[in-house]
Amino acid sequence: MTSTAVTTDRSVRLTGVTKTFGEGDAAVHALRGIDLEIASGELVVVLGPSGSGKTTMCNIIGGIESATAGGVTIAGEDISDRRPAQLAGFRRDHVGFIFQFFNLIPTLTARENVEIILALTGKSDGRSVDELLEAVGLADRADSFPAQLSGGQQQRVAVARALATDPDILLADEPTGALDLPTGRQILGLLQQLNREGRTVVIVTHNSSVARIAHRVVTVVDGAIESAEVNPAPADAADVTW
Amino acid sequence: MRVTTRKSLRDLRRSRAQVVAVAVTILLGVMIFVATAGAFENLTASYHHTYERLALPTYIATGGDVAAVASAADDAGAAATGTRAQYDPPMLIAGTKLLGRVVGMPAGDQPELGAIDVTEGSYLSAGATDEAVVETHAASTFGLAPGDTLQVYAADGWHEVTVVGVAVSAEYIWPARSRQDAVSDPHSFAVLYLPEDTVNAWFGPDNQALVAMPDRLTASSDNAVTRAMDDAGATAIQAWEDMPSQATLNEDLDGFDEMSKAFPALFLTAAGVASYVMLSRRILMERPIIATLMAGGARRGRVLRMYLLQGLMIGTLGGVVGVLLGALANGAVTSAYTSALGVPDTIVENYPWMIASGVVFGVLVGLLGALFPALAASRTEPAAAMHAAAPLRPPGPWSRLVARLRWMPVPARMALRDIGRSPRRTIATMLGAVLSMVLVLASVGIMTTMVHALETQYDVIDNQDASVAVSGGTDAAALEAVDGVDAVEATVVGQVTARADGTGYATVLRGFRTDTEMHTFLLEDGTTTTLPASGILAGVGLADVLDVEVGDQLTLVTEAGDTTVTLEGLLAEPMGTYLYAAEDVARGALPDGTVASYDVLFADGVDRDTMREDITALDGVVAYEDSKALLTTVQQYLGLFWAFIGVMIALGGVLALAVMYVTLAVNVVERTGELATLRAAGVPVRKVAGTISTENVVATALGLPFGLVAGTIAAAGFLSTFSSDLFTFELWWSWWVPWLAAAGVLVASALSRIPAARAVRRVDVARVVRERAV
Repeated sequence: MTSTAVTTDRSVRLTGVTKTFGEGDAAVHALRGIDLEIASGELVVVLGPSGSGKTTMCNIIGGIESATAGGVTIAGEDISDRRPAQLAGFRRDHVGFIFQFFNLIPTLTARENVEIILALTGKSDGRSVDELLEAVGLADRADSFPAQLSGGQQQRVAVARALATDPDILLADEPTGALDLPTGRQILGLLQQLNREGRTVVIVTHNSSVARIAHRVVTVVDGAIESAEVNPAPADAADVTW
Repeated sequence: MRVTTRKSLRDLRRSRAQVVAVAVTILLGVMIFVATAGAFENLTASYHHTYERLALPTYIATGGDVAAVASAADDAGAAATGTRAQYDPPMLIAGTKLLGRVVGMPAGDQPELGAIDVTEGSYLSAGATDEAVVETHAASTFGLAPGDTLQVYAADGWHEVTVVGVAVSAEYIWPARSRQDAVSDPHSFAVLYLPEDTVNAWFGPDNQALVAMPDRLTASSDNAVTRAMDDAGATAIQAWEDMPSQATLNEDLDGFDEMSKAFPALFLTAAGVASYVMLSRRILMERPIIATLMAGGARRGRVLRMYLLQGLMIGTLGGVVGVLLGALANGAVTSAYTSALGVPDTIVENYPWMIASGVVFGVLVGLLGALFPALAASRTEPAAAMHAAAPLRPPGPWSRLVARLRWMPVPARMALRDIGRSPRRTIATMLGAVLSMVLVLASVGIMTTMVHALETQYDVIDNQDASVAVSGGTDAAALEAVDGVDAVEATVVGQVTARADGTGYATVLRGFRTDTEMHTFLLEDGTTTTLPASGILAGVGLADVLDVEVGDQLTLVTEAGDTTVTLEGLLAEPMGTYLYAAEDVARGALPDGTVASYDVLFADGVDRDTMREDITALDGVVAYEDSKALLTTVQQYLGLFWAFIGVMIALGGVLALAVMYVTLAVNVVERTGELATLRAAGVPVRKVAGTISTENVVATALGLPFGLVAGTIAAAGFLSTFSSDLFTFELWWSWWVPWLAAAGVLVASALSRIPAARAVRRVDVARVVRERAV
């Protein structure tokens, strides 16, 4: 558990969450009654094979998708029945996303890729762009375009972009999937550091080695939680290997 | 600068070839709009300036006691009134005998109404009796200058007058004897301004009342003044806008007005489609990025605005440059037009509303083209951020159908299947083909129809080779005796006003033998008829003007009195709206004239100049008009029309290429992975490009039937705007014209293979394959 004092509600509570895609014979039950609580400031790794439903669960936590049934309370707000526009506002205030594919705008520099999320969300009360880039170790590459950055550097820009709105919860879906081991370690270290600063971090991955840095490891199989185990001694990201 | 603005600018620079294609299309649309709309306004203003300066009468009334008519108009509130004498006597000018026009003017001073602008020499001097000022078109046609002499035929024989000046008249900016003779052989008409006392002495008293209203050019045709003139005995009142010159010029202006709307609309539509396709492609490519931004809480409105900004930038670029070029072209078009027509005043102005409209059109097209892609971007589901590429869609019925065509080579099957793969791209390509066909067919249709109309009028309807006016000494037998003359018929020709239910229409009544060889009476259904023994036939335009139909009674009003006749048939004649009657019916309706008229047919192969010389040399021949001269003249001018058609076809090609280039570029970008894979497997560039251009050609071919229909409707629509009582145009073209236009558009489409090959060659195979392997 984090050692930093937590004053804001950054918790996650899923109660009986189900998610079904399609109807009738073509229906796919991605989640089958998920009950999960994540405490403020916790770092949770959600493990599972492809198609297990872990990404769907991550999307529901982040307000990208709505649950078919069940309760979803994030940072103290019940978002179960919110409309898409309301969910966008919720994400703006509480959630930061990091994806496997960095999804940077190739025509914008690292700094501009962070600036644009501020321009499009209208939020400017968080840390400055330069501070964010410094926090992810890219202050000296702020004016480089994505094509001039390595994969790890691009993912760090993506992390800075996710932090731009000062989210309570960071959701990282396969953040190391496109990276080699040293670069992956750097990104995990960054996420670990952000967690130590007080943010709740949820990492979704199929890579069980990543689970070593978690406070708790939730394993999802076939749309249901198979296990949720507390890690009494989370490893430092620098010690993780795969 | 905002980061969203920086992104938009860089995005546009990255796809600058496509941006240029879209912006140029917008530019052309805006430029044509500003140039033609401006020229329309300027030409109208130029005419009106001349009309005001030379005091064009608002009304010219004939019939009754013209002094009493003018006085009645004065009492009813006219701003100015006057009378004058106007007659159409034979003339002999530079060896050519023709039926001209003399207009009486006060010697020494210009009249208060109907003044002339003397451009060479001087005005009629006080007390002069044998001086003449020649209207500028006649002076130009016959090479007349001050000091030259010519002869005018009056009841007592030929009189010689001396030219003292050359003048421009507001009534003859377009020289036409009547509305029916709007297009005529320039050697068959001339206007002379003679001292009024001379005209009264040689031809007769004043026979026209001239009236100006306080609001000279905006007065309605039904007011207290016209009613007073009517009550005072005027048999025909011609408003300024119905005068032959103004009516003909107005036809031209209407054409300009239509062009100023329709052609820009075509280009701007194409530009909107190209802009839509281009931005759709960008948004498709950026879908994961947009989804990431949406996942981060980006506001829909701001995402919408960010992508609209790109359309705004392209539209503003095309609009502003288009306005600048259009403003330059406006002056050039106006000056060229007024110079060609000899309009004395040229007003060139770039109107603020026109400039503003041009920019607004450009901006609107850019925004509208970007609207749907931007809306799509703002509605991107954040979950799309998880995917590196758009998810695969199951094949539709078309793909399944094509898959069964196993006899077809796989590349051909792939090209066919791609038609249904991106309906947006296919429809855009089809639309490009449709718009190009509309532009080409509308231009060619106008041209071929006008040529056909002239040939119908002068080869099928008007059979006579020449019309001859004779005043004693020569008769039909004498004309038949001329070597090369095949047949001669006496005819009757005169001005009448046809009236029905209080509405009047000034036109020309022509009388022929009922078994005449000189005129073919062509009905609307394509069949022919003969002249009725009683009653009249009339051009189909009369039905609209007087709201009459076959079987109705008409009153023919002339100086000889009123004659009631039955309308026996309506004729499909492209040029003018004449009345036709049997010779004795026409002679009964028209006043006795001093001049007899004959129509003459020549033997095949005669020299027309020799015939003119031989016939005009006969004693008593006072006017001669070669009926085929106009066709020859028009055909000489066709080169200019073909140049216009050539420009329009070239613009159609530009339009087709611009849209097809953008859709093709989008095709390449959307399928970069596939194309790179094919190239990685060793498939030659030309074969890869071939599959793309085949798809383009097939999509174009699919658009052609729609283009044929839309082009035909557009051409017919354009022609309907030119049709009036002066001209009746029914769309006509040879069977091969639409096919040729379609083939041309297909060739333009096939040329897309060239940029396709370049685009495929530029694909970085290694990079794309590496990225896809992530």
